[in-house]
Order: sequence, then structure tokens, then C-alpha cells
Amino acid sequence: MIGYIAGRSPLHRAHPYTTLALAGAVLFAAFAMTEPATVWLLVLAGAALAATGGVLRSSVRTALVLSLPIWALLFVLYGLLGAAPRVALGPVSFSAPGIARALVLGGRVTAIVLGFLTALATTSPHRLVEAMTARGVPFGRTFLLASTLTVLPRMRERAARILEAQQCRGLRLGGSVLARVRALGPLALPLILGALAEVDEQVLALDVRGAAAGGPRTALDPPPDSRPQRALRWGLLLLVAAAYAWKFRRMRG
Amino acid sequence: MTLRDLVLVRLGVAVNLVIGQIVAALLLPVYLDTVGTILVAALVGPRAAITAGLVSQVLSAVLSGNFAWLPFAVVQVVIALYASAAARLGLFRRLRTAVAAGLGLGLVAASCSAPISYFLFGGVTAGGVTLVTTVLRALGAPLGIAVASASYATDLLDKAIACGLVCIILRALPRTLAARFPALAR
Repeated sequence: MIGYIAGRSPLHRAHPYTTLALAGAVLFAAFAMTEPATVWLLVLAGAALAATGGVLRSSVRTALVLSLPIWALLFVLYGLLGAAPRVALGPVSFSAPGIARALVLGGRVTAIVLGFLTALATTSPHRLVEAMTARGVPFGRTFLLASTLTVLPRMRERAARILEAQQCRGLRLGGSVLARVRALGPLALPLILGALAEVDEQVLALDVRGAAAGGPRTALDPPPDSRPQRALRWGLLLLVAAAYAWKFRRMRG
Repeated sequence: MTLRDLVLVRLGVAVNLVIGQIVAALLLPVYLDTVGTILVAALVGPRAAITAGLVSQVLSAVLSGNFAWLPFAVVQVVIALYASAAARLGLFRRLRTAVAAGLGLGLVAASCSAPISYFLFGGVTAGGVTLVTTVLRALGAPLGIAVASASYATDLLDKAIACGLVCIILRALPRTLAARFPALAR
């Protein structure tokens, strides 16, 4: 999967809020678009964003991998099982309105994935945390977003160890569904109870680092923001609002 | 939120994201990706559970790369509120009542997720649920009915097992550990 890719593109240098606003605008605009042409314009916008960030190849590749299963299911559900009129293509016939709908739905998912993968690849987690701290975002929110990602590998490793240990003790992972549901307890209980037992220790560790201290926190290296970037973020908000206004006007008409 | 609540929320999020590893090893036809949210609801309360649910949704998108499912965050909020209410009513004290609460939660969660799935994604989301939808559609069911049936079928089973598991975890908590969670005593 894609993660942060270091670089010096305009998106890498932009304030993290600007990059996230661009991805957010793609997300909200995607649900306002109801025609294949407009949705695919949004997919192109997502690709242009990836090209601006210098991550076109990796973003497009991952977006395709992620959206291909969705495309396959869409073509079965809407193309093959859709309503008449149908279009024959060799031995198979497809639903014409179904294909149009599949293009909208699939394009929506592809555009959103492409937009956010680009944001993920061009936004340094460190800069995002610094930007949030500089904006006075409470410590708890930055802690949850940044610190949980560091806890996950440890939890995964522990889950794997428990799985192996219980199998060594004779726990069978196969059998009927009921037997497998019963096996959940011996696997999940040690994992969760072990983690719960460590809570106090972690609270203490955070406390001695001053996490409970109130008042504003100082960001050591806050990413620079600028008036044009702030204007762009407001512009994106207006653009999304306009897209929804257009959608609801068409629905009434 | 206190530091303890914060650490518990982080634990809940981690459980939501890691439990899939155990479920995959057991080849169970469920996700159980809300066990952490339900556990935090029972141990701390609604605010922490909502935070755990929302952070899980965002981090799951960050880790999988598939951000299209972010609108389902609404379902996490509903699950957190329901689980907190169920915990306050003491439904997690016995396995039987916990499973019944889980079935109720399945109904509520499916009632929220099915319209999102149908109206925003045309019923095509990820994996097993969509396969059930496709089979029902191939059997002649209208799309709306197929999407709703698939959501209810998977959510009822998923949430019943999740609530049952949370009940077992709470009952297995040593008394000294349980005493540290005031919400549990209520």
C-alpha cells in the first residue's frame, strides 16, 4: 500500500491542510456528480493532482488495484444484471443504463481513492502533526491519529504470537462455524486483556511527558501557510457547495 | 477526555484494526471491526466510544488506502451510542442479553449502512456483503431489497458475535482491573 513518499513537489511543500482540503473536495464533489462525464472529469482532476505531487504512477497503480474489485462487481451487478435496454457485445449482452450507472459509481470510488492516495503520499505525518499543534488542535486528537499507528505493529505481532501459542496448546482453527466462533475467545481474550492490563503504565508514561498539562502547546517546526493557500481552501469549499447546489437544482428540475 | 480515556480509545482503535487478523485465521464470515468501539463504550462511555469509532474509520482508510468508505463513519457513531446505552442497561453482564443486544445492534447498524451503501455506492461496497447482494440480485431480487437483505444478514451475525465477545472479555476482567473502570461499575 502507499504511504508518504518524500519529495519537493508543490504538494509536498504546501501546508498539509491544503493537500487534505484538495482530497476532501474530491470526496465531497464525487457524491455531487451524477453523470459519467462529470465523474470522469473528477477522476482526471485526481490524476492531475497526483501528477502535480510527482506520485502519478504509484497513486494510479494503487488506485487501480483497490478499485478493480469494485469495478468487477459493478459490471456484474449493473452491466450483466441491469435493466433493459440491452446492448449485445459478442455472446454477452449488457444493460445500457446499467453500464452508465456503473461508470458513475466506479468513477466515484476511483476519484476518491486517487485523491486521498495522493494526499497520503505527499503529506508528511510529522508536518501534519506540527500543523495541527500550531493550530491549537487538542493534544488528544493528534495523539490518537499519530500514536495509534505506532501501536498497531506491536498489537499485530502479539496477535500472531498468541495464535501460534494457542495452536501449540492444541487449539484447532478449523471445523464448523460454531467451533470457529468458540475459538475466538482463547485468541481474542489474551490479546485484549493483556492490552488492558498495560493501560495504567501507558497513562503514567504520558503523564510524565506532560500530556495532561493544559494550555497551548508550541509547535517546533510549523509548516508555513500563505494567503493564496487559505484562499484556495475557501475556494474549494465554495466549489463543493456549488456542485451540491447544481445537483439539487437538477433533481428539482 | 482524561489521559486514561485517551489510552483506552487508542486500545479500542487498535483492537478494531487488529481483530481482523484473528478473524481471518479462523475464516469466519464476519468482520468484528467494532469490538473495540463496543468495549470502549462499556468501559468508558459514549464520547470515548464515538472517538474510537471515528478514528478507526479514518485509520482503516489510511492503512488500506480505500478512502471511499469514509461516509460509513456515521455507522460507527450510531454503534457507539447504542453500545453505550446497552452497557448502561447492564446488557453486557450476561452472554444471553449481550447476544440479544448484539442482534439489536445489527438491526440498527444495517438500517444505517444499507441506505449509505445503496444511495452512495449503488450497493457495491467491499467483499462478502456485495457478493451476497449479487447472488440475491441474480436470483431476481430488486437491487434495494438485495442490498438491505445482505446488510441485515451480515450485520446481525457480526454484531451478535461482537457483543458476545465483549461480554466474555468484561466477565474475564480480573476484579482489580475492572475496578479501574467506573463506567463498568455502573
